Amino acid sequence: MMWGRVLSTDFIKIRGKGIWFLVFLGPIGLIAMQALNFGLRYDYLMEAYKEDVWGGLIVNIVIFIPMSLIMGITLLCSLMANVEHQTSSWKQLLALPVSRMTVFSAKFGLGVILLLVSCALLVLGTIALGLGLQLGTDIPYQDIVRFCFLPFIGTLPILALQLWLSLTYSNQAISVSMGITIAIASLFAAKYDEWVPMKWPNMALDGPHQIEAIVASLFVGFTVLLLGMAHFSRKDVA
Amino acid sequence: MMSELVIQTRNLNKRYRGRSAVSNLNLEIAKGEIYGFLGPNGAGKTTTIRMLLGLIRPTEGSVQIFGKDLNKEKLNILRRVGSLVEYPSYYGHLTAVQNLETVRRILDVPRSRIDEVLDIVSLTKESKRAVKGYSLGMKQRLGIASALLGNPELLILDEPTNGLDPAGIQEIRELIREMPQRHGITVLVSSHLLGEIEQMASTVGIIREGEMVFQNTIQNLKDRASEGIRIVVSEPEEAIRVAMDQGFEGTMQQGMLQFPNLNDAQVALLVKRLVDSSHDVYRVEEKKKSLEDIFLQVIGEGGIS
Ligand SMILES: Nc1ncnc2c1ncn2[C@@H]1O[C@H](COP(=O)(O)OP(=O)(O)OP(=O)(O)O)[C@@H](O)[C@H]1O
Ligand SMILES: [Mg+2]
Repeated sequence: MMWGRVLSTDFIKIRGKGIWFLVFLGPIGLIAMQALNFGLRYDYLMEAYKEDVWGGLIVNIVIFIPMSLIMGITLLCSLMANVEHQTSSWKQLLALPVSRMTVFSAKFGLGVILLLVSCALLVLGTIALGLGLQLGTDIPYQDIVRFCFLPFIGTLPILALQLWLSLTYSNQAISVSMGITIAIASLFAAKYDEWVPMKWPNMALDGPHQIEAIVASLFVGFTVLLLGMAHFSRKDVA
Repeated sequence: MMSELVIQTRNLNKRYRGRSAVSNLNLEIAKGEIYGFLGPNGAGKTTTIRMLLGLIRPTEGSVQIFGKDLNKEKLNILRRVGSLVEYPSYYGHLTAVQNLETVRRILDVPRSRIDEVLDIVSLTKESKRAVKGYSLGMKQRLGIASALLGNPELLILDEPTNGLDPAGIQEIRELIREMPQRHGITVLVSSHLLGEIEQMASTVGIIREGEMVFQNTIQNLKDRASEGIRIVVSEPEEAIRVAMDQGFEGTMQQGMLQFPNLNDAQVALLVKRLVDSSHDVYRVEEKKKSLEDIFLQVIGEGGIS
C-alpha cells in the first residue's frame, strides 16, 4: 500500500536527525526528574503518600505529561518537517506519483507512532522507577498505562496543527513559537473552560467529562488533520 | 505529419500577485524529441516546469501530458515522468543509495534499478557516502539518477548541467542525447545557454519574460541565421538605386548596402553592375550571424524579424 511505503521512507529520512533521541529524551527526562524528586525527599514523600505510594508517583509524573507532550510534538513536527525543508526536497517528493494527502497523512502517522513510543517508554520507565524506589510489587499497571496514554489523545488536535504549521512554513520559528505558546498556556489548563482544547489533555485523564474530552480530541484532531491536508494538497510548492 | 504530442500546454499563465511570470504559453513537445527550453534568467522556465509537474497551479490554462489532463490524471502522468527541478533535491544526511531508496519505495521499482541508475550517472563508487559531502556536480548527478529511477517515458530536466565541470557537462549531454534513441524517452531540457542546447536538442522553445518567442526546430533557427552580403561603396545612396533597378532587394544601413542571401553568381553580377555604373567598391563582406547572435536577438527583441 502506498501509505505504508511512504511511511517507510519517512522512517529512513529521520535517521540520524535527533528525532529518535527526542523520542527517548522525553520519557527519560520525566522519569529522571521524579527519580531526583523522590530520591531527595524520599522519606517525606513516602510518608505523604503512604496510603498509595504508586499513586503518589503517578500523580507527580502525570502533572508534567501534557506540557511535555506538547513540547515534544512541537519539536518532533519541526524536526520532521525540516528534513524536507532543508534541501527543499518537496519539489522532488511531490513530483513523484504520490498524492499529497498520502505524504501529509504519512507524516502524521509517523508523529503518532513516535509519540506512542514515547508514551510506552514512559510506562516502562514509571514501572522501573517505582520498583527502584521500592514502592512494592503491587504495580497498578492499568493506571500507569491509562495515565501515560490518555493525555496523548488529548493532544491530537495540537499534533495536527503543529504538523500543518511545520510543513507549511519552512521558517520553523513560526511553528515552534506557536508550540511553545500552547505548551505554556497548557500549564494553566485548570483555569480554562472545558471547550478550550488545551484543557483536553488533562480532561482526557479522568474526571466527569473524560469521555467527552476524548471524543472531542479525536474529532477535532481529525478535522484539523483534514483541513491541513486539504491546504497542503492545493498549495504551490517552492 | 504531426507526430504525437507528449506535452501540450494551452494558454498557460502564472501570475504572482498580479505580476506575470508565464503568459499564454503554448508548449508543444512531440514524442521522442529532445526539446530545448531556452530563456534568460527569470524568463519563466522553472515556473513552467513546476506547472508541468503539478508543483504549482497555473493561474490560467491547461497542461496535457501523454494526451491526458494533468489536473485529472496527475498521478498516472507523474508515474511516467522523471524530473529534476532547479538545483538538486536530496537528503544530505543519507547516502546516495538511501536517497534513491526513498524514491524507489514510492515508485515501487526493483531494488536493482538503484545500481543501474547509479552506474548510468557514474556515482557507484561514491554511493555509500552521505550526500552532504558531495560536490555540486555529484549532487546534480544524483538528481538525474533519481529522475531516471522509474524508467520514465518523459524526462523533464531543469538546467541539468548546472554546476558540472566540462567533462561532466559532456557526459550528461551524451546521456541526454541517447535517451530518445536508446530508450524512446522524450526529453525536455531547459537552459539559458543556446550553445549547450544546440548540441542535443532537435527542437527549441525560446521564452522571454514569460512569453514564447520562438518554437521550432533547431534547423529552422539556424536557417534564420540570415546570412547576408554587405557591400561598402563610395556613394551608397546612388548605389542602392542601381542595385534595386537590377532587381536586388537591398537596404542601406549605416552607409553600407545590405543584401540578404545572395549566391555567388548574384554577388558577382551585383558587383559588376556597380562597377559598371562607376561606383568604387571598397569591400564585399559576408555577414553571418552565429546562433548565439540569433538567440540574443530573439530574447532581446522578443521575436525573429
Ligand atoms: N514564488 C514566486 N513568487 C513571486 N515571483 C516568482 C515566484 N517564482 C518565480 N517568480 C518570478 O517569476 C519569474 C520567472 O522565474 P523562473 O524561476 O521561472 O525563471 P527561470 O527562467 O527559471 O530563470 P533562471 O534561468 O534564473 O532559473 C521571475 O521574474 C521570478 O521572480
Ligand atoms: Mg530556473
